[in-house]
Amino acid sequence: MKKIPHEYVFLIPLVVFMGLFVLYPLSCVIAQSFTDNRTGSLTFQNYVNIFTQGRFLLPLKNTIWFAGACTIVGALGGTFVGLLVSRMSASLRNLVLSLYSIPMTLSSLVVAFGFIVLLGRNGVFNVLLNRYLGLPKFNLYSWHGLLVTYSFYNIPLMTLTMAAVFLNLDRSLVEAARNLGANGWQVWMYIIIPVLAPGFLTGVSIVLTGMLAAFGTALALTGMAMRLFALQIYSLASESEFDLPQASALAIVLVITIVFTLFVLNWIERRLKPAE
Amino acid sequence: MKRNLAWKALEKLLLIFLVLYILLPILVPLIFSFSRRWTDIFPEGLTTQWYQRILSKPAYYRGLMTSLFVAITAVSVDIFVCVPAAYAINRLRGGIGNALRVVFKILPLIFPPIVVGTAFLRAFNRPPVAWSGSLVLTIFAHATLGFPFMFRNVLAAFQTIDERTLSEAAASLGANLWQRFRYILIPNVIPGVLSGSLLVFAISMGEFEVTLMIAGFGWKTLPLLLYRSLIDDVRTASAISGILVATSVLAFLGMTLISTYIGAGRMRGIERG
Repeated sequence: MKKIPHEYVFLIPLVVFMGLFVLYPLSCVIAQSFTDNRTGSLTFQNYVNIFTQGRFLLPLKNTIWFAGACTIVGALGGTFVGLLVSRMSASLRNLVLSLYSIPMTLSSLVVAFGFIVLLGRNGVFNVLLNRYLGLPKFNLYSWHGLLVTYSFYNIPLMTLTMAAVFLNLDRSLVEAARNLGANGWQVWMYIIIPVLAPGFLTGVSIVLTGMLAAFGTALALTGMAMRLFALQIYSLASESEFDLPQASALAIVLVITIVFTLFVLNWIERRLKPAE
Repeated sequence: MKRNLAWKALEKLLLIFLVLYILLPILVPLIFSFSRRWTDIFPEGLTTQWYQRILSKPAYYRGLMTSLFVAITAVSVDIFVCVPAAYAINRLRGGIGNALRVVFKILPLIFPPIVVGTAFLRAFNRPPVAWSGSLVLTIFAHATLGFPFMFRNVLAAFQTIDERTLSEAAASLGANLWQRFRYILIPNVIPGVLSGSLLVFAISMGEFEVTLMIAGFGWKTLPLLLYRSLIDDVRTASAISGILVATSVLAFLGMTLISTYIGAGRMRGIERG
């Protein structure tokens, strides 16, 4: 008989924990998503509703647009700061990266509060803009406002990934390519982009999947006014329009969307990898 | 040459803007919470009365204690689950270890707070497990959100010290099980456990989305109180925000200190992604 290594014993707490708090709740959600809210019988109606009713299609569309816009802003901002930071002295770089690490554990409500004070209806910057420059006030409680607020999370997330990538970029590779007669475009196309791509796509996948499921800051700033997919789930699961089976079906669609997104990004990453 | 200079200046300006973009929303709640009034451009007067209000009003004081209790308990649960598992997975070279590493990386992405909240609502509000509205549910939800981060920190600690080789060397020199535990495991793994604990603690203290969905009416955490006071009591909101900002900053400083001075290797677990 093959001896089981004693190390497996130490996995028991983890297995029990994951079974009880990941697998069990998830299987409940899957089962629930196929039941009728009133009769409890088996049905596909919850899924059919998502793709036929405007109250679900609109949030789905909004979320895809919003997550895409947030990802572009985050990717551009983060890559820019990551590049600049990689050229700084070590102490200055650590200072900036330390500051950029704080948003990751900061409560979405604190961020909402900070932005209300700065950019709310009577926020500091709005008063400044309006009184001294005569410019119209910035409306924080809009899609633009949410984009600005969520970028507070996304730009630093992307920066931390890209700074590491730029720091690991082997400068001698670039120089070697230049010496061999490659022009600027060729150096970017064949050397820099393939090296940066994996880190960049990892950052993009974190930001994009996060934004597909985002709702905390949006709820704090604009309530239910901005119709995001995750807000719709929240509303069905714990607010007035209580319908847990429908919320479960939406949650499953969200998880599938996220898995699909990760799959596509992973596929692109493998395609971009330089041939060995 | 001139164009180059202009480009450099523009680069600097953009960088300053992007630093302020992150710095100001973090600083503003702190400044707000220590000022008597802030209705125009600049805050006026220095005061700690908004913090005293949290301590003196039972509802807020209870919220502070609830948050601290939930965070500490969630951290303890994660330590209990992750330390033995990281020990085992570090030793089990091969399939399981690698698979679990990937799982922990993508788990927080695939199961965002909204899905965890919905799932917990459904799974734990009726027999066999009827915990709905109790603090237990909040604690386990926070532990569930945090355990991938705890796991990565602890596993990184095991990997940097190469626990297996060290333990074998110690054993060959005659160290018994207790001595190996006391002199090799504890001192080397503690920095990783501490970093993970600070991270999970900070995440738990600030958690809003899942808590909003599952917490009972009697157990409001600080972020839930902040959600309400954003509308009707901005002063208290600023003090709660101040506490939460301080928690995040201190947790991060702690993790930096641990990685610089105790030498837990690079802060691999720090990224939340």
